[in-house]
Amino acid sequence: MNLLQRTLLESLVIAVLGLLAGLTINHRVVIDAFASRLSPPVTAVAPAATGLPQPVLLAEVRELLADGARPVDAREAAQFTEGHLPGALSLPLGELDARLETFRAQVAVGETLVLYCSGYGCPDSFDLGLLLMSAGYLDVRVFEGGLPEWRDAGLPVAKEGGR
Amino acid sequence: MKRSGRLTYHLCRLLLGGVFVWAGAAKALDVPAFAGQVAAYQLLPYAWNYTVAATLPYVELLAGALLLANLRVRPAALLLILLNALFIVVLASVVARGLDIDCGCFGPDAGTTPLQALGRDIVLVALAVAVYWQHDRYATTPAV
Repeated sequence: MNLLQRTLLESLVIAVLGLLAGLTINHRVVIDAFASRLSPPVTAVAPAATGLPQPVLLAEVRELLADGARPVDAREAAQFTEGHLPGALSLPLGELDARLETFRAQVAVGETLVLYCSGYGCPDSFDLGLLLMSAGYLDVRVFEGGLPEWRDAGLPVAKEGGR
Repeated sequence: MKRSGRLTYHLCRLLLGGVFVWAGAAKALDVPAFAGQVAAYQLLPYAWNYTVAATLPYVELLAGALLLANLRVRPAALLLILLNALFIVVLASVVARGLDIDCGCFGPDAGTTPLQALGRDIVLVALAVAVYWQHDRYATTPAV
């Protein structure tokens, strides 16, 4: 066995040890993920208790929307036009000041809002949620998986003018 | 000349090890958040995002710790070269697909764009290659 082969083998051993350590420490998360019984993140707390928008998972989003909650798209208007959740209102975070009055006229403060943007890496929906709560909206939820998770789950995506 | 080379080698080794211990620890502390960031790459089925989030930080931690401890330096550096090559491919696919996501490389709050992360990974590969190649030359304790 030459030096490169031996080094590669040792690298593999390090990788396997790391994998085993991770699987051992996090076995519960992995098992739950494969059994599809992961509960919402522990950071999910009631909005009234914290004054923060409440994170919701895809399954809850579907229930909320079925119960008449209003999806709100925090992304840029151009992205909204390309595709959005059916029935969503466009309220880009950067244009909140200009659009808030129109939004207020359309949506009562007591309505349940489900905010989303481009998925887990995108903070706009949460930031918009904070601003809407300070503007008086009482029940603001954030769908962190956003449009990518919605679309990847095979759920319908609306295009402006398409419906 | 050899002395400054030795110093540079050890600095590279410690820097590389430190970066990966940091990156691994930041992600290992919040597995569900990291799983969400892996999911944002839209490459893996649901449960596999959690598997990656559960294991990848520990591979990084172990490789980084070995470099810091000056143990199994070549295999650890080689592992990081391969790992970073994989990250570069993945990040390039993110850039190519135009996804606007956080790279997630250093945990939930780092806020790095895929392009920045791509540049950083190329630097890290260079660092790992340098450690790998210079190991035999500089790793032995100098005769005082």
